[in-house]
Amino acid sequence: MQNQEILRVENLKTYFNTDDGVVKAVDSVSFTLNQGETLGIVGESGCGKSVTNLSVMRLISSPPGKIMGGDVFFHGKSVLSMSEDELRDLRGNKISMIFQDPMSSLNPFLRISTQLVETLCLHQGLSRSEAREKAVQMLRLVGIPTPEKRIDAYPHQFSGGMRQRAMIAMALSCNPEILIADEPTTALDVTIQAQILEIIKDLTVKLNTAVILVTHDLGVVSGMCNNICVMYAGRIVERASTDDMFSNPKHPYTRGLIRSVPRLDKTTKERLYSIPGTPPSLIDIPECCPFHPRCQHAMDVCRMKYPDETDFENGHKACCWLYGDSNRAA
Amino acid sequence: MDAWRRLKKNRMAIYGLTLVTFYSLLSLLAPVLPIYSYKHQVLDHQYLPPSLTKTAGELLYERQEKILTEAAKNEGRSELNGKEKEELSVLKQQIDNETMVFDGKTVQVHQKRYILGTDSLGRDLLARIIYGGQVSISIGLVGTLTAVLIGLIIGALAGYLGRTFDAIAMRIVDIMYGLPYMLLVIIFMAIFGRNVINLFLCLALVSWLTLSRVVRGQIISLKNSEFVQAARVVGASTGRIVFRHLVPNILGVVAVFTTLQIPSFILMESFLSYLGLGVQAPLASWGSLVKDGVDGMKSYPWMLFFPGLAMTIFLFSMNFLGDGLRDALDPQSKNKL
Repeated sequence: MQNQEILRVENLKTYFNTDDGVVKAVDSVSFTLNQGETLGIVGESGCGKSVTNLSVMRLISSPPGKIMGGDVFFHGKSVLSMSEDELRDLRGNKISMIFQDPMSSLNPFLRISTQLVETLCLHQGLSRSEAREKAVQMLRLVGIPTPEKRIDAYPHQFSGGMRQRAMIAMALSCNPEILIADEPTTALDVTIQAQILEIIKDLTVKLNTAVILVTHDLGVVSGMCNNICVMYAGRIVERASTDDMFSNPKHPYTRGLIRSVPRLDKTTKERLYSIPGTPPSLIDIPECCPFHPRCQHAMDVCRMKYPDETDFENGHKACCWLYGDSNRAA
Repeated sequence: MDAWRRLKKNRMAIYGLTLVTFYSLLSLLAPVLPIYSYKHQVLDHQYLPPSLTKTAGELLYERQEKILTEAAKNEGRSELNGKEKEELSVLKQQIDNETMVFDGKTVQVHQKRYILGTDSLGRDLLARIIYGGQVSISIGLVGTLTAVLIGLIIGALAGYLGRTFDAIAMRIVDIMYGLPYMLLVIIFMAIFGRNVINLFLCLALVSWLTLSRVVRGQIISLKNSEFVQAARVVGASTGRIVFRHLVPNILGVVAVFTTLQIPSFILMESFLSYLGLGVQAPLASWGSLVKDGVDGMKSYPWMLFFPGLAMTIFLFSMNFLGDGLRDALDPQSKNKL
């Protein structure tokens, strides 16, 4: 069952038309997701991580957003050409999502039970009482104490961590094949973060759910993911298995990211590294490597053309002229 | 029900609810209550003051006696002369014996008791207030219900769907706003004839405009919240998102808005009545009663006071109830428990 491809994203391009020009939020992103795999997508704020995921579920509101090219295949079926009905069945049932802010992603006017049961009734065709039973079970799985009582609470009666747990319960209640977790722990404090990640990890292993974990926290990714994609300015600049990524990062941006994580195991007197400069505006990016103004290895060719993907062993790939040149020469 | 439990904790709201229920029962049961008819005129009884104990006859006699004594005083006499005394005894005779036939029944008219007095045509004010309440309350309710139904649906859909639907719906609202509503009502009445049903329809026609705008604005501010996106992510349909997720979030606003609307409908009706477009005599409404009362405000204050009081109490109750409803419908309300 492992290694069976369930989601393939091919050259996905999502652009936003704004008054200032076209924002290329996602530009030719491709990746695949296998059953049971956990894929991490890492990058700075505004590099297109969330937009990628919203595009996968076709939740980009258009206008202003538009998927300009590429396609998303779920079990070989194009998501972009699905009808509304097929999409509704896909969302929640096959692919579900956890949001960044548990404070605002539950409807404050509906009980937790209503929101959970609704999803189950909708997708699983369960009766109300069956769905309620299942919902209680899910809440117990995510570690909410006395779920029989708490299920009738309103979201404001839950703490942030509990709300995120409830969101996870909701997202996983229909046994989806893919769980997209969009920065699930940013709004939580560190101890709760660890618990939530543990729950996601445990449950997805138990249910054999593939996970796309979007985050800017490298620590989280290293603990959770099998594979990692690093995004910069709407493109995937490097992809590798977690081990390769941390032991042997190729792209200067990835190296910068890894160096800028504070480490407890290496005491140094140096200041913590940070990548100089700021991410470029995504409006009308010229045909160049968008990282070149911040890159200490920048060469002339970096300002002229975007590099092709260079293939190292074990599916480790990076887009950088540092390797492209030598490869071509060889 | 949860909201009901929260509502019960709010004492003012419960007083409001009790009074509103009382009013509604009174209006509903008006035909079987032991009150006089609202339209029977006894011209002798015009402008009788309110009295709990005295019959109409006694009041009539007292008034006549007083007039004659005053007249005598003006002429410098301390006693009534024979002619005047005879006049009084004739009146007494008449009061004791005169009967009239109402609805096939013979009634000793002067034995009637008018607790709240009578109006300019000798009709019982209590009955007129109760029957007027029937008209006014139903106008308030019908106006509000249509406003909520149409306004909520159109506003919510316009806000959530946006684009073409929004543009068309809101332009229609703009156009309706632009036309003076009196003109609309007059045209409507002229085409379809004047009766209470058409009056309801007229109010319904214009009542939803403001609410649909309010709702639309609220929905627009909510539709990009994360919980809406979360609902889309779990595959909820548009209708479900709008009516199950978004509308409950704005019920508080709607509850307050509508309870504040009811008085304005009642006042609107009274204005229409004033123009002769509202309810037709002998039917009464609070608005028309107040209008009649204003005309004789100095000499016969009860004709203004009692309808005004009835209306004020009702509107106050309505507002307290609305306030309580808003708090009760909001699970995060501060006043809970």
